[in-house]
Amino acid sequence: MASISLSRAQAELASAPLTGSVWLEGWAGSGKTSVGVQRILYLMERGIPAESILLFVPQRSLAQPYIRAMRGQRAHRGGQVYVHTMGSLSLKMVETFWFLVAERAGFRYPRDLPNFLSLEMVQYHMARAIEPIVAERDYFNSVRINRPRLYSQIVDNMNKAAIVGFPIDEIGSRLTSALAGGVEQAHIYGDAQTCALEFRRYCLAHNLLDFSLQLEVFRDHIWATPQARTFLRGRCKHLIVDNVEEDNPASHWLLLDLLETSDSALIIYDRDAGFRRFLGADPTAARRLRERCETKATLEGSLVMGGEVQALSGRLAAQLGPSVARANTADPRPALITEAHRFHPQMLDWVAANVDELVNARGVSPTDIVILAPFLSDALRFSLADGLARRGLPLRSHRPSRALRDEAAARALLTLARLAHPHWGLPPTNFDVVCALTTSIAGLDLTRAQLLAEMLYRNGCLLPFAEVRSSAMQDRVTFELGERYDRLAGWISRYVDGERADAIDIFFRRLFGALLSRAGYGFHADVDAANTAQNLVDSARNFRWSLDYMSRYDDDIDLGLDYVNMVDRGVIANFYARDWISDAEEGLLIAPAYTFLLSNRPVDYQFWLNIGSEGWSRRLYQPLTHPYVLSRGWQAGAVWTDEDERELNRQSLRRLLLALTRRCRKGVYLGYSELSESGYEQRGLLLETIQSLLRRLAQEGQDV
Amino acid sequence: MFKPRPKQLAVLAYRSGYMGVAAVPGSGKTATLSYLTAQLLAETELEESQEILIVTLVNSAVANFARQVNEYVKANGLLPGYGYRVRTLHGLANDIVRGKPSAAGLDDQFSIVDERESNAILAEAVDAWVRRNPEAPAAYLAPQYAENGHYRTQKWAESLTETARSFIRQAKDDLLTSRAVLELLAQNGGDLSLAEFCAEIYSDYERALAYRGAVDFQDLIRLALQVLRDETAYLESLRRKWLYILEDEAQDSSRLQEDILQLLAGPDGNWARVGDPNQAIFETFTTADPKYLRAFIESDGVDGRELPNSGRSTRSIQTLANRLIDWSLAHPQESIRARKPLSKPYIQPTPAGDPQPNPLDDPAALVLVGEAYSATKEGMMVTESCKRWLAQNPYGTAAILVARNTRGSEIVKFLRQKGVPYVENLNSSSSTRAVIGALARVLAYLADAKSAGKLAEVYRVWRRDDRDDPADAAEIKAVSDSLKGLKRVEDLVAPRGEHDWLEDDANDESGAGHYADLRAFRERVGIWLRAAEMPIDQLVLTIAADIFRDMAELATGQMAALHLARLGESHPLMRLPEFAAELYDIAANRRRFTGLGDDEGQFDPDAHKGKVTVTTLHKAKGLEWDRVYLISVNNYDFPSAEPQDSFIGERWYIRDSLNMSAEALAQLASLQQGGAYHEGLASLEARFDYAAERLRLLFVGITRARKALTITWNTGRGTAAEATPLIALRTFWEEERKKEAAREPQR
Repeated sequence: MASISLSRAQAELASAPLTGSVWLEGWAGSGKTSVGVQRILYLMERGIPAESILLFVPQRSLAQPYIRAMRGQRAHRGGQVYVHTMGSLSLKMVETFWFLVAERAGFRYPRDLPNFLSLEMVQYHMARAIEPIVAERDYFNSVRINRPRLYSQIVDNMNKAAIVGFPIDEIGSRLTSALAGGVEQAHIYGDAQTCALEFRRYCLAHNLLDFSLQLEVFRDHIWATPQARTFLRGRCKHLIVDNVEEDNPASHWLLLDLLETSDSALIIYDRDAGFRRFLGADPTAARRLRERCETKATLEGSLVMGGEVQALSGRLAAQLGPSVARANTADPRPALITEAHRFHPQMLDWVAANVDELVNARGVSPTDIVILAPFLSDALRFSLADGLARRGLPLRSHRPSRALRDEAAARALLTLARLAHPHWGLPPTNFDVVCALTTSIAGLDLTRAQLLAEMLYRNGCLLPFAEVRSSAMQDRVTFELGERYDRLAGWISRYVDGERADAIDIFFRRLFGALLSRAGYGFHADVDAANTAQNLVDSARNFRWSLDYMSRYDDDIDLGLDYVNMVDRGVIANFYARDWISDAEEGLLIAPAYTFLLSNRPVDYQFWLNIGSEGWSRRLYQPLTHPYVLSRGWQAGAVWTDEDERELNRQSLRRLLLALTRRCRKGVYLGYSELSESGYEQRGLLLETIQSLLRRLAQEGQDV
Repeated sequence: MFKPRPKQLAVLAYRSGYMGVAAVPGSGKTATLSYLTAQLLAETELEESQEILIVTLVNSAVANFARQVNEYVKANGLLPGYGYRVRTLHGLANDIVRGKPSAAGLDDQFSIVDERESNAILAEAVDAWVRRNPEAPAAYLAPQYAENGHYRTQKWAESLTETARSFIRQAKDDLLTSRAVLELLAQNGGDLSLAEFCAEIYSDYERALAYRGAVDFQDLIRLALQVLRDETAYLESLRRKWLYILEDEAQDSSRLQEDILQLLAGPDGNWARVGDPNQAIFETFTTADPKYLRAFIESDGVDGRELPNSGRSTRSIQTLANRLIDWSLAHPQESIRARKPLSKPYIQPTPAGDPQPNPLDDPAALVLVGEAYSATKEGMMVTESCKRWLAQNPYGTAAILVARNTRGSEIVKFLRQKGVPYVENLNSSSSTRAVIGALARVLAYLADAKSAGKLAEVYRVWRRDDRDDPADAAEIKAVSDSLKGLKRVEDLVAPRGEHDWLEDDANDESGAGHYADLRAFRERVGIWLRAAEMPIDQLVLTIAADIFRDMAELATGQMAALHLARLGESHPLMRLPEFAAELYDIAANRRRFTGLGDDEGQFDPDAHKGKVTVTTLHKAKGLEWDRVYLISVNNYDFPSAEPQDSFIGERWYIRDSLNMSAEALAQLASLQQGGAYHEGLASLEARFDYAAERLRLLFVGITRARKALTITWNTGRGTAAEATPLIALRTFWEEERKKEAAREPQR
């Protein structure tokens, strides 16, 4: 058996009999996931075929500890353990059983393959499906949100309906009865309803499946076919479910069903959690699974927190709600390090200085430190990384995602695409050409690139280097760079003169393969740039595939042009994920607080930035949707009040503080500046909570 | 330490209910109010999350106020900012709306467009409308311009933009959406063509904002009020939260501000308002009106107090200011008189033993010049006078007050020519501009990296911390001159092959001592050049971290980075050259931008001893100098609604001296109230309103002076005359001086 050192209670749970179901709950940091990991290894050791085990998690990153452990256990017989989220599982099932149900589910072309939409493609199609209606009927005229956010809220409503299991034509009435504020806002829920129905109609007419439709087809049609049920049940003889509190009612429904026919099950529930509410997480609904489990177990206490942090954890929670069991009487102050600053950069400086001190003077490993903020703008992340780098604390960038158009390499490729497709009528600006040249040609600096562009970029075309008449100018650019430029300009010019244009992703790939990846060009030795290029190719190819298919039903599409436009407007390729988890293992993590929580990784020290920000306690406000009103437990006809909202904020903050401190061994640094990065004063609930805790501690100190 | 005088003690005795305080210039109302805040904080057992809310007019006052109170809070060992919050009305509206954005149809990430963006959106809407309606100008252009293409398009669009801006502002103040205005128009049968034009433009403007997911400043206030009215539970929670509401500069309150604060205070709440109705000078730009504060102070259930004592000015200057109150109460124009432009209390000197005694009186230091100067002559005379006075008073403070920014810039030119040391306090303060200017220079170079001239400027920016040292300054100039002469910039910043300017020529040209310095410079510029393709906010942050040491400067740099990033989001085609241009516009004072640093506190005249401050009257509010020049007091800047007066709101190419903005507002009012609309009446009324406000502006100008005051006027483009109130004051003062002279021999 692999070497995870477990307590006796943990070991007993991991090696429970091969039949029977176990419900395991406890705090974060009490060792539940270790039990889960050990359980899978135990099952495989006992000869259970891997392909009859289903590891089910609410999001993929939460499966990491399991995957790592299983990687070390390759020797077992059989195939692979199924690792699924509700999304991936339902997709797989719809794909497999499509032809059995497509017609019944209402798709117009049931003999054609289905087309699953990524989030960005949903945005693209949403624009096509509902934009005409919104414009024509003057919908949403009292709402001020930009288009991508408008679309994503409509999609969000549809997803909520699907995971909770109410029909999408109830969205409008639910929202109206619970939230109706002023008269001006009343009609927007109706508008949102019409748009949702219109988008659904459009998807059915074009064989498209967004997440909500995929889930509905799975639950209402596929699950009704005996073949599909038999198929899945056969593969889920042993269930391991982790973080079930972060999952949604649709997952709970499926798990309840699978529990009936599985041989064994281990269901793990994190107390005081449920952070993905905005994605439909429903910890209360999750507890229904508890009732169906034969054994109920609890792991008490924390294997993570030191005494002072534990005291801090308890005191913070007590500020916001009922005390946590077993109060710790230690003085929490040594675990709470804070300093007030006037300006935001001062706070960032203070953070960098303290990280420096921890790492260089006290020998703390950077992997044992995390810097957290409620929101993490690129600018904040960048300032911080820069400040740490200036202190000789090099950081890898730990961004979960970033817009492709913000990457120089992607922008260069898009600019070259415009140069190569003059019929689009989108000639790039002079400065874009300058940047594309510096990125594409190795050794070319901005100064010489500007000389080149000034002399040779005319009417949307790159002229040959020979057009530079003055030998002094040629000498300034240098012949070596001039030659490289010439090969690039020549390649584009030949492409323009060629018979027909390639599909956009093929264009990128050809340009990359024929030139940019060669010695003397910018992508040759630059791994990041090459990765970005690959990402762009993937994104463009997905776009094309999705729309190639569409062209059967709709011929009004210019693929390359649409793609470039959509990237520029930030509608698609807006986020592409980097594997931040593997990044994080190598260095100091800077992350939004909730992202950190869902990475299941305790650390020695946490830095909480911008403690004045409301973002610590408040849910994301979205005028067209509402995570609670559209949740499973919502009573028909109830009204969402301010008191509900306030109480919710307090409870969310309490949960968040408990969750954070339970993932912290030694201390919390609080970053506070009176003025936010935009120059505004901020005073959210977290600041208030800290203030009154400090006040209370000061009084207690005086009393002593 | 603050030592209150008796009248201030009476204000400080406030503990609950509604209180209204009429203060005079220099009476220490802000000091009194912050002291009151500190007292209330000390005495009141605030429940968790309860606060004292302080509302004031401008950002700089917010910072000042907060600093004063923070000192007290820090002394109690808490993180500053506890137990109270200071906000401008916009800041407060922002807090209210952000507390419940969905009730206002907004999501969390809604953005607020600034004045510049809002103007740009409006200009676009107007242009589109003008193109769609080519015949519209015929109804309003004066006959001689009706067929002139330039007037039919450009000038017409200018006027219409201004008119639509006022119209939209008022409609929002009246809580009318564009749809509501259009509905009112549909029900109304009469000819209200201006209102129709504006309503259509309003509708386009709204659509453009909605598309951006944005609101403008007026929306913010309107939505705050709407949320408070619609969401009673939320209102209740805010009432509990803000136990006290203290309002400074209440004379510049608009009706909406009053409505919002009244709602927040509630009938049984605690609301103290302090202001000087005689210093209300923002009516023209906003919908503010001092009548709201006056009515409040006089209403039942409000404890009315006064702060009449002021130790700021000499007796002579106070006498002149009080005379202006009297004169305006008996104003020769009945319509202006009826508006009560200025009102009592008179300014009274501080009582004996007061910590702030009035300066020693010198009637000769109060000079009102009757002579007609040309604008140039006036500028030169004032410059000369300043120069003489500063030479004799190197530790004194002086200011030249102007009504308009353009006149300020002209005066700055005179001062520069004559070598008179000066500071500007015009649109944005010079330190913000210096910070932004430094960033703009680096960006401009990166956008044009082959320019030797721009590289030389970057070098100056890079050495900005050394420029105050004379030896360094000479060296900086020498090096930057030699950089300016570079034929091949790339040989310094990105040498290739055999060409390396630093190795080959730099030692010969500017001395061996600069080698190390230039090497470091090259290294830094190299980093920036490679960073030029980063997203704009990251690029600016990188540069800022390299060139600024001071935290306030860094913070301003950070705000600039966010500003550009937001701009880039709404204008995806903006690139480095355009971003650099934007920063140049801020640095050159063409755009408003509030930075942090010394200008986050109020401008402090005492920090500029031995220099003359050039400032607009509006920006001079709250400030004082030993010697003040109040210039251009003619009937153009200070009209009195007399036949020969010209009015800024009336364009020469619009028929019948119509003030289009005023007429459009009258049409809007008639739409709402159902009354008849008579063309021309509103234009006339607007003259009276404007004249009344300008009297208060004059009052503000006079009361900025501690010891000496000179008032002059000029003939403008040749036709302007001495302002009527100046004639009255001058005559009064000449008589006073004669009486004084007559008494003198007897003494």
